[in-house]
This record gives sequence, C-alpha cells and structure tokens, in this order.
Amino acid sequence: MLHPPRKPSLRRVFQALAGLLVLPLALGRAQQPVEPPHRGHGSYTDLHTAKNRRLTADHSKFKILQGPFKDGDGPAVTRACLTCHTKAAEQVMATSHWTWNVAKDGKDGFGKSTHLVNNYCIAIIGGNTESCARCHAGYGFKDKTFDFTRQENVDCLVCHDTTGDYEKEKAGFPNPGIPLAELAQKVGAPTNRNCGACHFFGGGGDATKHGDLDNSILKAPRTLDVHMSKQGAGMDCVDCHTSDAHKIAGPNYVIPADRREEPKYPGESVSRMSCASCHTDSPHQSYILNRHYQKVACQTCHIPAFARGDLPTNLSWDWATAGRLKDGKAYKEKDAKGYETYATKHGEMVWQRDVKPAYVWYNGNLKFLRLTDSFAIPADGKVVLNPPEGSYADPNAKIWPFKFHEGTQPYDTVLNKFVAPYTAGPKGSGAYWGDWNWDVAIKMGMETAELPYSGKYGFVKTSMLWPITHMVAPKEQALACTECHSQKGRLANIPGFYLLGRDRGTGVDALGLGMVLLTILGVGVHGLIRYLHVRH
Amino acid sequence: MRRIVLYETFERIWHWAQALLIIVLMLTGFEIRGLGIHLFGFQRAVSLHNVLAVALMTLIVFAVFWHITTGEWRQYIPTRKFLREMIGFYLTGIFKGVPHPVKKHRMAKLNPLQRLAYLGFKVLIIPVQATTGALYYFYPNLQHALGWSPSSLWFIAVIHVLGAFGLVAFLVGHVYLTTTGHTPLTNIKAMITGWEDIHDDEYFDEA
Repeated sequence: MLHPPRKPSLRRVFQALAGLLVLPLALGRAQQPVEPPHRGHGSYTDLHTAKNRRLTADHSKFKILQGPFKDGDGPAVTRACLTCHTKAAEQVMATSHWTWNVAKDGKDGFGKSTHLVNNYCIAIIGGNTESCARCHAGYGFKDKTFDFTRQENVDCLVCHDTTGDYEKEKAGFPNPGIPLAELAQKVGAPTNRNCGACHFFGGGGDATKHGDLDNSILKAPRTLDVHMSKQGAGMDCVDCHTSDAHKIAGPNYVIPADRREEPKYPGESVSRMSCASCHTDSPHQSYILNRHYQKVACQTCHIPAFARGDLPTNLSWDWATAGRLKDGKAYKEKDAKGYETYATKHGEMVWQRDVKPAYVWYNGNLKFLRLTDSFAIPADGKVVLNPPEGSYADPNAKIWPFKFHEGTQPYDTVLNKFVAPYTAGPKGSGAYWGDWNWDVAIKMGMETAELPYSGKYGFVKTSMLWPITHMVAPKEQALACTECHSQKGRLANIPGFYLLGRDRGTGVDALGLGMVLLTILGVGVHGLIRYLHVRH
Repeated sequence: MRRIVLYETFERIWHWAQALLIIVLMLTGFEIRGLGIHLFGFQRAVSLHNVLAVALMTLIVFAVFWHITTGEWRQYIPTRKFLREMIGFYLTGIFKGVPHPVKKHRMAKLNPLQRLAYLGFKVLIIPVQATTGALYYFYPNLQHALGWSPSSLWFIAVIHVLGAFGLVAFLVGHVYLTTTGHTPLTNIKAMITGWEDIHDDEYFDEA
C-alpha cells in the first residue's frame, strides 16, 4: 500500500535553512571590529588638569628664584634649585642623559660621549663635543676635560622649563638672552616640548634621525599620533617613559623595547614603554587579531608609515660625496620639494615624508658596533651598524617596523674599524667642515678620541636600524590584513615561517587546479557523448 | 509509476545546508589563499571561514546523530553488488539509453558508486579538512605547547588546500552526476522535495 503523498512542508524547510544561514552570519558579524565604548583613554585637558592639581609648590613664590641671574648663567639657576632639591643633581648624574654613556652586557662604551658610532654625524668624540653638547643635560661639556662631578653643571631648565623659551647653545650653555629668573619660577614636569628639544632634532635637524619623532608632534592632529596629539590622549613623553629618581625609562641601547614590566614590589616605578602596559596583550575584540601579539609588534600594524608629519626624515647620507666645492665654496642643492639633495658639508642625501617602514624580527636587542669594534665587510658591501637580534624561533622576538638609514662613511681600512672624524670647526682648524680634508680631519679626530688609527681610510656603505614606535595612528588607519597576508605585501621578505596569503606553493595550487580541471574535462566529455547520443 | 519519499526532511535540510556551507567555505578559503577571489575582503573572509567551519561541524554532529538513530548509516556500507554494472552503465550503457542497473529503494537509495563516493567524502575528506582546519586555527597554541616547527604549519596548510581542491572536484562530479537520472532534473527535484517517481512498479513494493 502506498503512503498518502505527504505534502513536504517547504516553509518549514526554508525556515530551518534560513536559520542555519543566519546563525553563522550573525556570529561572523560579531567578529568584525566594532567601535568599542569609550573607555576613558583620556583627553589633553583632563590629563593636564590632573597634573596641575597634584602640584604642591608654586615656584614663583620662592625667593631664591627671583634672581637676578647673570645672562646665560645656567649654573646659578641650578645652584638655586639645589637649595631645595638637594639630591636632584646627584640623581641626574647617575643617568645617561648626563653621562652620555651606557654599559651593555658588561661592556662599556655604548654612548655618545664614548664609542658609539652612527651613520648620520658619525661620532662626537673626534672633537665635535662642543657643538653637539647643546643637547647635553649640562653646562660646559666642551671636551673630555668636562667635570662630570660638578653638580651646578647639571642643566635643570632644559627638562623642566614650561615656557618653551629656553634654548641651549654651544657646550650646552643657555642662550644669554633668556630671562632665566622668569623661567626658573615657572618650572614643572617635562612636556613633549622639553624632550623634543633634543629628541626631535637628533642627527642635526628636525625629523632627521628617528623618523617617528619630530616637531610636528607638538601640534599633531590625532591622525599623526593618537597618544601625543592634543586631540587624542594628549599624553606627554614621560607618561610612558616614566622616571625613577630622574632615571627615565628608555635607552634603546639596553632595554628590550617590547617587554611588559611588572612592579617587583609595591610602588616600584615601572616603565610603560610597552604598548601592553596600558592596552594589555589582548586589546582587540577579535581573538585572531589578539593572537598576532605573539609574533607581531603592535607598532607593525598601528604605524602604517613614519614621518607622517610636516617634515621629511633623512633616509640616506653619503659622506663619500661630501666636500665638492663650487668656485672654491661650499654649496647646497635642493629638489623640487625643497629637500636638500646635496650639501658640501654632508654629501648626497635622501629625504622622504610618509615612509613605509621595513620589517625585521627583533627581540629588543640591537647589537651596536662601537668605534673600538673591528668588523668584516659582508659580501653585499654594506656594514650594519646595529644588527637586530631575533628570529621566528626566538620567543621574545616580534616582527617590528624599522627605519633603515643608509649611509656611506669613513673607516680605517687597515684596522677595519670606524673612525671619528673632526667635523665641526672653522677654516684652518683641520675640521672637515673648515678645510674639506678627510685625511687631516680623521687623524685629528682619532687623536682627540684617543683611538688608534692606521692613517689609511676609505669609505664603506653602512646601514642603521631605528625602531619605529611613535606616531601611532588611529585604529581606523591600522594596516589591513592583506598588507601582509599577500604575495607582494609588506612581509614579502621576512623569513622563517609560513604566512597565510603569502606563501602559496604554486605547485600545490597547480596540483589542486589540475585535479579540478581534469574532473571538469571528464564530466564535460561524458556529458557531450550523452548529448550526442540523445540527439542521435 | 508511483512516488516514494526518498529523502526525509532532515536529510534534505542537512544536505542543502551542508552544500551551502561548503560552497561558502570554498569561496572564503580560496579568497584567503589569494586565488583571485575578492568577494568578502580578507578579514571578513577569515572570520566567515572560521565561523562557518564551526557551523558545519555542528551540522555534522546532528547529521551523525541522525544517521545513527535512524539506522540510515547502513545506506553507506560499501557493496560490490552491482558495482561492475554501475561502472559499465556510466561507461557505455548511459549513452545507449540502457535503464539504470540499480533501482532506488527507500532502504537502498544509493548505488554502489554513490556509497563509495559519499563514504569517502564522510570518512576522508571532511575529517581531513576538519582536522587540518582545527590544527591550523590552533597552530599558535600548539606551536607554543608542543614546540612545533614553523614548517609544520606549511604542511597543515598544504593538506588543507589539497583537501579543498578535492572538494571542488567532488562538487563538480557530484553536480554532474545528478543529471544522470530519469531526466536531468529528476535527482535534484528529489533532493529538494524528498519525493521521487519510481518508474518500475514491479521492481519494489513499498508496502
């Protein structure tokens, strides 16, 4: 007997199917980035109202700060400060802002006043200290006779001036036109302007050295720097680079940059230099995005480009081409954008705004070469001055964005070490910028630096890596997945691991496609024969 | 001629939901792989792929339960009976208009070739895709816990991708073979409505 034909409840079937479809779509939508509720990331006004509220002293009320101070007499101001802050100078003297020297792995000499070398101005110890020391947190650093133990030589104002009128000149002395008493009565905690006075101008000019630090940060829109922009969180450098007894967290020579610090005892001052210190290590709503934290630095996605402000950063500095004269005189050439492409003083240069970083495995350790270290020139002819340490296998290493700074600089061809030429000096002094003679400038520089020199020099290509960590963009500007997960993406050349979307074994795809094509061919032929038979 | 219910309601929902899930998984998967599909965008494709994979696994858990409780799993027991005839039918018979050598029955609705193909699909392709997919998703955790080398992810990915191409080939063959029924649309209609016309009244007695 037959069953009576049951009417299939198509509506029920449809509803069930629709249900199955909608469920995953709804879940899929839940994974999309959603604007999170405002979580009190702060504002410039809130932050600075709070900072001002906490102050317990109005320095304009202190008699000793009324002055008068002699024009340019910085040490007199310091003596006044020290009458109350009796231990402040002592604290500053223990820091690298004062010593310009850092020890690393039990070795000394990783600092400007010692044997660190770079491929911008090269080194200061070959007789250039006086002009470079306008960024020293002290007064009178002219040469190696400087008394590093004299407390009144500490420059309080460079970090604590709140007026923005403070200015340093040669050997770090204040510009004589500065009303010191007025400034002294208005001191306060360092702001971005204080730090920026030196750190924005590394390499001899605004934006030159770092790429992610320049004066445009002071008036940055939120799109340039979400943290420091007054439209963003309005933070100061010292909000992350915290200090403990004047020791400010951060010398990149010795501290792994992305290590989240935990206080070892209640009240210990820990640096907030790692993003995770504030944002935790899982700040995204998406589990998959959060897992990138294991191997990808936050900076990699959140700083799509550096030098996004008004100014270009220096990407290449070719000392070997310096010294050309026109009619016996030094000259400069600029390109259409007004960027300096050649200067007799510096050689050929390359400048760029809005630069895409290069990406490298990095565990926080840059292995700096010093003037005292000999090196071998690799096959590609380029010596890396600070090779980063790290690989996929290194659990502390992440893919980090860097500014690569290329250069050509003099070295001792016999000893295979870099040299510290005497560059800044007038005509007749023997300095390179006076007499345009490398032979003399290097010999004099190495003598001043008390370093051995064979007398023979040459030029070698060098590369230096600058970790990019400032100029964090708003999250809407974070890199899209395919910036890296694609064959010609930003990570096209990062070795040591399989990357989804980048590493497509073409053989595998060919095999798979072949399999599919053969099937299509098979059913096609079969179908065609059937069709022909039917027609027949 | 008479009509029988060949596919139960659940079976049809399961079939079509599974088909849809697998097709979207294919599209999202190939988009992620970078094979030139740009339908969802990478990020959405990844989310969708992961969520749909879980949806498919859930559906399969229900399907397994259904197969066990209804005894329908027996439909997939491989048999050599009529196997030779089936191969012969597809190779020559079908062109000459020879009747299908295996008649459909409520309790034996799959011919021996279908049994082999679907069994392979169920016990080989799907488990391989599910396993490699899960290993892929949890790779960072596994690598951390078990010290797996980076190249093992490459290996997992290769298997998953080959499995995906296998699924595409399966889909092509599967869709084509649905046209080999009494009329080209007979089988698909049966899969939609559940009813199939049986044209050989003497062959089976449903009662």
